[in-house]
Amino acid sequence: MPRSDGARTAPRKASERLRRLLVVVPYLVRHPGTPVDEAMELFGVSEQELLDDLDLLFVSGLPPYGPGDLIDVDVQDGRIWIGMADYFSRPLRPMRAEALALYLQGTELAETPGLEEAPALSSALDKLAAALGPDALGGLPARVAATAGGEVEWLEDLRRATTERERLRIEYHALSTAETTEREIDPEEVFVALGNWYVAAWDHRSDAERLFRADRIRSVARTGERFEPRGLEGAGRPLYTRGDEDLDVRLRLSPDARWVAEYYETTAVSELDDGGLEIALPARRLEWLERLLLRLGADAQVVEPKELKDRVAELARRTRKRYV
Amino acid sequence: MQPLERLVNLVALLLETRTPLTFEQIRSKLSEAYGHEDVNSAKRMFERDKDILRDIGVPIEVRSVDVWEAEQGYTIPRDRYYLPEITFTPEEISALLVAARTGGDRSAEDAVRTLLSGAEGGIMSALAGSTGAIGGARDARLPAVGEAVASLRRIRFSYRTARGDTSERVVDAYGLVLRGGRWYVVGRDVARDEIRSFRLSRFASDVADEGDGSEPPDGFRAADHVQAGPWGPGEAKTAAVVAFSPEVAWLATKGVSAAEAIGTREDGWTLVRVPWQPGESLAGWVLSFGPDVEALEPPELRDEVVSRLEAALAAV
Repeated sequence: MPRSDGARTAPRKASERLRRLLVVVPYLVRHPGTPVDEAMELFGVSEQELLDDLDLLFVSGLPPYGPGDLIDVDVQDGRIWIGMADYFSRPLRPMRAEALALYLQGTELAETPGLEEAPALSSALDKLAAALGPDALGGLPARVAATAGGEVEWLEDLRRATTERERLRIEYHALSTAETTEREIDPEEVFVALGNWYVAAWDHRSDAERLFRADRIRSVARTGERFEPRGLEGAGRPLYTRGDEDLDVRLRLSPDARWVAEYYETTAVSELDDGGLEIALPARRLEWLERLLLRLGADAQVVEPKELKDRVAELARRTRKRYV
Repeated sequence: MQPLERLVNLVALLLETRTPLTFEQIRSKLSEAYGHEDVNSAKRMFERDKDILRDIGVPIEVRSVDVWEAEQGYTIPRDRYYLPEITFTPEEISALLVAARTGGDRSAEDAVRTLLSGAEGGIMSALAGSTGAIGGARDARLPAVGEAVASLRRIRFSYRTARGDTSERVVDAYGLVLRGGRWYVVGRDVARDEIRSFRLSRFASDVADEGDGSEPPDGFRAADHVQAGPWGPGEAKTAAVVAFSPEVAWLATKGVSAAEAIGTREDGWTLVRVPWQPGESLAGWVLSFGPDVEALEPPELRDEVVSRLEAALAAV
């Protein structure tokens, strides 16, 4: 007979609740009279879960479990008191996996330019590493190297508007078209991807969800108008999604330009005899490709479409005029 | 008796005891929990409980309790169990909360809840006063690779190269590098006996632990083994001067750290000084702005831009 699901999930559930108890109880011991709703918010639990856990403490304690040995729990007028639990007056240390996740996430965030909290975050991570020691983080802090990028000006405005649900008017430089345009956006989420800050927003100019890279925003103006969030996909959305009208572009790359295949999303890559690559990549607009090809110069050739070849030549002619 | 109640009592007992307790002693003290008539089933339940406690990070130590080392006793050492006092400023607390919420899963957030539960004061106000939420999702393999680096473990994973070939790699993990927003693990590729770097986003499988790894060589620096990205100039001793059209000047200076606007030309173009040294690919960066930028100094840079443009025109 296979074991029932109940037999397997029950212990796991008990372990999650236990883990939470060993953290929540010390807080309540140290903060007598904590309001129930404050504890719910701080530990991310429902009222029922919290009260169930507290109920259980009534019958827990030390041997011989007489009235004077049991943990003393008192919930009155929406406040909690816990006594007779000195051995639970400090929380259990964070689990190693949790501490590692926090350390790495924190490091990544602190090294992404523009975050107001970066200095505080770095010092908090240093304190964490010093206090928890090798039990929690092993040799990790000495073995992580992170490097910062450029500047971002509008991050705090974007975060505030996202939290307060305020519509913004921005000037934005789209790399795909190499144009700067003004538009109104309803920002729903700010996040980091590939070392850059993005805001996921409803774009009133295109009447669609768009991702905007924060360092390509030229200006931000508040409108004072509030919006209702539409539940956008946000960070879960890929940075590029293929559309029906996308062109198939084929390029031949020299060995020095192989990085292009790594940097951009490709649909096909094949090796060439000279150590280079032939790649296919989908593109909605050609403007960004013109500029990429201009930068690559002799290291890349357009196989198709012909239109792209012509446009690169035209861009090269216009650029060449600067140097006469 | 509920499993949870039994577990809470077991933790309390092993934290309070001054000497390690044998299973028999635990059984008699927690008779309601382990007092079955059948000793073997009681012992099995105790073993299961011990596993659960270890899974959630409770350090249980096993020590011999007699000189013949025949009997084992159990205890929870307080210094390894209790979170030490860490004093965070309110700014640090809100920064930790922001960081914890960017990962897309709960583990980092749980770590912060634990830290805050043991911190003094200001917690609720920090919770309320956070400037703005940040979303996002980390690479799901980062924690496993982080663990491997933390403990110098050997790992096995399937890896896709820039060419698109996928192969199995066995690597002694030495370090982690974040560059250009991407995480790389650096370590000794066992089959090739060379130090290599691997981008986490190119992993094509989960990370399997293969036991103890090896010590990195003397003077090892993980960052030395990750090639710089193709974008923008790197660290440099000298400088170049370029002029940007008014349309893109604001954008160009942002993307490059240490770029500095030094004046405006008569035609309204902005003069920008950027770090540069001979042999660097600054010409490519300049060309990526098309006709909106003009390289001015040094002459080598200007010449390289022109010769690349000539080559592009000749190729048509």
